[in-house]
Amino acid sequence: MTKVEAVIQNSRLEAVKSALQEIGVEGMTVIEVRGHGRQKGHTEVYRGREYSVDLIPKTKLEVVLADAMVEKAVQAIIEAARTGKIGDGKIFLTRVDEVIRIRNEERGEGAL
Amino acid sequence: MTAASSLIIELRSSIAEESARIEREYAATGDGKAAVAERTRLIDEILRRLWLDLVSADEAGPHGFALVATGGFGRGWLFPYSDIDLLFLYADRGGETGYKDAIRQFSQELWDLKLKLSPASRTLAECDRFDANNTEFTISLLDCRFLAGDRELFVRLHDKLIPKLVMRESKALLQGLAEVTRERHGKFGQTVFHLEPNLKETPGGLRDYNVACWLALISSMGKLGDWPDASLLRPPVRKQMDAALEFLMAARCFLHFRHGRDDNSLSWEAQDEAAARKIGAADAADVSAADWMRIYFRHARAVQRTVMQLLEETPEAWSTLRRQFQGWKSRPSSSDFSVVDGLIFLKQSSSLQDSEMLLRLFHFMAHHGLKLSATTEHHIEQALPALAVTPPRGAELWLYLQETLLQPHAADALRAMHSLRLLTLLLPELKPIDSLVVRDFYHRFTVDEHSILAIESLHRLNQSQSEWDQRYAELLGELEDPELLYLALLLHDTGKGVPGSNHVEGSLEIAGRCLDRLDVEPGERAAVLFLIANHLELSAQLRRDIFNPETVAAFAEKIGTPERLKMLCLLTYADIKAVNPEALTPWKAENVWQLYIGAANYLNRSADQRVHGDASDEKLARLRSLAPVTGAKFKDFVEGFPQRYLLVHSAEEVMQHMTMAEEFGHDPVRVDLKRGRHWYELALVTKDRPSLFATLTGVLAAWGMNIVKANAFSNQGGIVVDTIYFTDRFRTLELNMSEWQRFKQSITGVLAGSADLERMLRDRQRSEKHARVKVVVETRIDFDDESSSTSTLLQVIAQDRPRLLHRISSCLSQHGCNIEIALIDTEGQMAIDTFYLTSGGKKLGAEHQKKVGKALGEELKSLEISQ
Repeated sequence: MTKVEAVIQNSRLEAVKSALQEIGVEGMTVIEVRGHGRQKGHTEVYRGREYSVDLIPKTKLEVVLADAMVEKAVQAIIEAARTGKIGDGKIFLTRVDEVIRIRNEERGEGAL
Repeated sequence: MTAASSLIIELRSSIAEESARIEREYAATGDGKAAVAERTRLIDEILRRLWLDLVSADEAGPHGFALVATGGFGRGWLFPYSDIDLLFLYADRGGETGYKDAIRQFSQELWDLKLKLSPASRTLAECDRFDANNTEFTISLLDCRFLAGDRELFVRLHDKLIPKLVMRESKALLQGLAEVTRERHGKFGQTVFHLEPNLKETPGGLRDYNVACWLALISSMGKLGDWPDASLLRPPVRKQMDAALEFLMAARCFLHFRHGRDDNSLSWEAQDEAAARKIGAADAADVSAADWMRIYFRHARAVQRTVMQLLEETPEAWSTLRRQFQGWKSRPSSSDFSVVDGLIFLKQSSSLQDSEMLLRLFHFMAHHGLKLSATTEHHIEQALPALAVTPPRGAELWLYLQETLLQPHAADALRAMHSLRLLTLLLPELKPIDSLVVRDFYHRFTVDEHSILAIESLHRLNQSQSEWDQRYAELLGELEDPELLYLALLLHDTGKGVPGSNHVEGSLEIAGRCLDRLDVEPGERAAVLFLIANHLELSAQLRRDIFNPETVAAFAEKIGTPERLKMLCLLTYADIKAVNPEALTPWKAENVWQLYIGAANYLNRSADQRVHGDASDEKLARLRSLAPVTGAKFKDFVEGFPQRYLLVHSAEEVMQHMTMAEEFGHDPVRVDLKRGRHWYELALVTKDRPSLFATLTGVLAAWGMNIVKANAFSNQGGIVVDTIYFTDRFRTLELNMSEWQRFKQSITGVLAGSADLERMLRDRQRSEKHARVKVVVETRIDFDDESSSTSTLLQVIAQDRPRLLHRISSCLSQHGCNIEIALIDTEGQMAIDTFYLTSGGKKLGAEHQKKVGKALGEELKSLEISQ
């Protein structure tokens, strides 16, 4: 099983959610985050004061999937999240040893 | 099998059978009181059987050792899965040693019977010792009840020790109980109106019921030194509390049976089932979950009111802070109301027959942050039926309402009005959201509480130390009509009480009716409806790229004016903050702020998009409808004004300007002056000419007026409309009505060339002392050639000083700049002036900008030195 973490632009969240749902991914976790890669921050001058944002607000999406689904999900995220500009984000994949459903203690891929 | 084992088997079987029977009876009758009484009897019996078997075969023994029920069990309220509160009471410590093994086995058997104990072990002398860190133990003794063993020992505890202990320690007990209660209330946001309340712990729940009883009992015993004979609550309160207790008991039994454990959370699923089974409401017709929750909130409110009143009326129960301010709050502050110990009393109870008095009372409450006494609340309740026949309405009601909404403790006053059913009497539009539970995963409170909380969150901004809150607090301080924002917050979710999916449309319709009934004037009405219509807009934008200029531009254009943008930003802040305590994350607060400043800058830089007289838009349509006969005159007048002109002026104001322009034949300089809410408003309509803005601002400076805001616009035909908002620093106009005419004549005279502005300015300079600068503002002069296609934007940020605007605009004029548009604003001691400049009909060249920038810098420096 693999955990897919995607840091994306806020404006692409709905598109990514829909794309994942279309390929049968229902459960996901969404977190409000801040960060930057090569994308520079943003500075706005308002009434003579500078308001700099070095860490840009982004959205992080996490899903844990059976290995067979991972590549499909990654492609779905890329297509939905891409705008072609710097700041589109990144996807990280990590191995997951076990998944347990709290309600009935079911384990493994069946618990996904 | 030993006798002991067979006893355990028998008791286990008895518990199972009897518990099942109690549950069946409860399921049939819904009678929680009976269920807890039966369970108490069952456990009493179990405990006595075990006591006889393990501790003493003698029913009256052993001497010097007794088994006592305390807490809820002592009260006779043993809920299906509650802990069993027991006290092992010894005459002395020597006695305890002899029974250690028996007690251990006794407790073990009870655990094996799956009965959860909460045991305590004390000697009589130890019970008499009050521990301020363990007030709960002493409080639990107030409900003690004999179970088994030495009855005489128990009587000594109950009849002698406890009354003396309470009399001696009543102050500490009351303080301790009050502190614990306040802490608990604080954890639950000081409100009963949770979407999924905890029946025991949430304000208005069973714990509060007990606290009310204990407060009354301790106060009484503290004075009498003995157990009181009769109920300590007044009959009407007693009746409400009894009804509430019956309901809460039924509901808690329901939850225990449902969950199979001591879980008192009234989740949505539980609410559905409780409503379907009419728990605690057997006599009601079929109720929806929302209606069932309204019944719950009604009872919870009654309990909370009682406990809060008792906390207020018991000086020993006051918080430390309250005691510090007690002296201050005891000063009577009004001819109509007395304030005693921080509670508001009416000087004449009959005065509430006058509805205006009632409105003044709540304004007083909102202003001072005081609470109503129980007597005052009682008088209000008595006055309501007569008030319902002819409730206040119209402009008078709106006047009191807006003044109350502006006060720092408005939310507390609104809650008090709501609790007494006065708020829905005055604003029946709020009835659909009264105690309304709307299920979503974000909101924690009922819709009405959410709206009041939103208002409270804005008032609290000024007290907050957080950097974010301080930014928003500055914005709030700049609003021209904050009462409109508060009214919008009160009404913005009323649509949730109307069936249908779009609550915004519902809220708009309801708010429209309310605004009509309050006779709110058209401009203010439009502002409130605009806020309600767009109250989700800013949040929706957070799902887009808020740093994308197109996103910002589209959003800013939809909002239209800086004032509306500020109000919407604050409304969004308050709305999110009132969803639940964690809702406004730093992430969201930052995004809201970034979008606000991006949009504010965009509005400043895009003020020159022009109106076309034959365009079809809502504002123009309304204008045409106001003056259908003007035809071509109307089109010619509006043609070429910036869009901003139509956005910042009401339709009525535009018509007035047009009329003033038509009167040029008689007088080429038309001036209108009026006193606004916060400032004076001067409107000048005349033909454009060089240095016009500089001259006008010069006259105001010569009269000692402080310009706070200004807008200067011109149309295609060269007609200028300058609107200046100013404060009268020396109260010249305020104290001398005759000066109004002289002031206007001064303006027309200077513009006509018949009065000497420079002499007026010199005279003013000689006579004036200058105020000390409290906050130093660095000067910034920025040119922007990108934002407008036709003008160069100049933004000047500088220390606000007398004559600042006159000096800036004169300097611009002297250096060949024509001011197409001026947007003038002040924030505290900071002047923020934006000018759209042209020279020879074109943008300023780079060299020209440099020259103007240098000259302005020198001008501002010399102004600083001269003052």
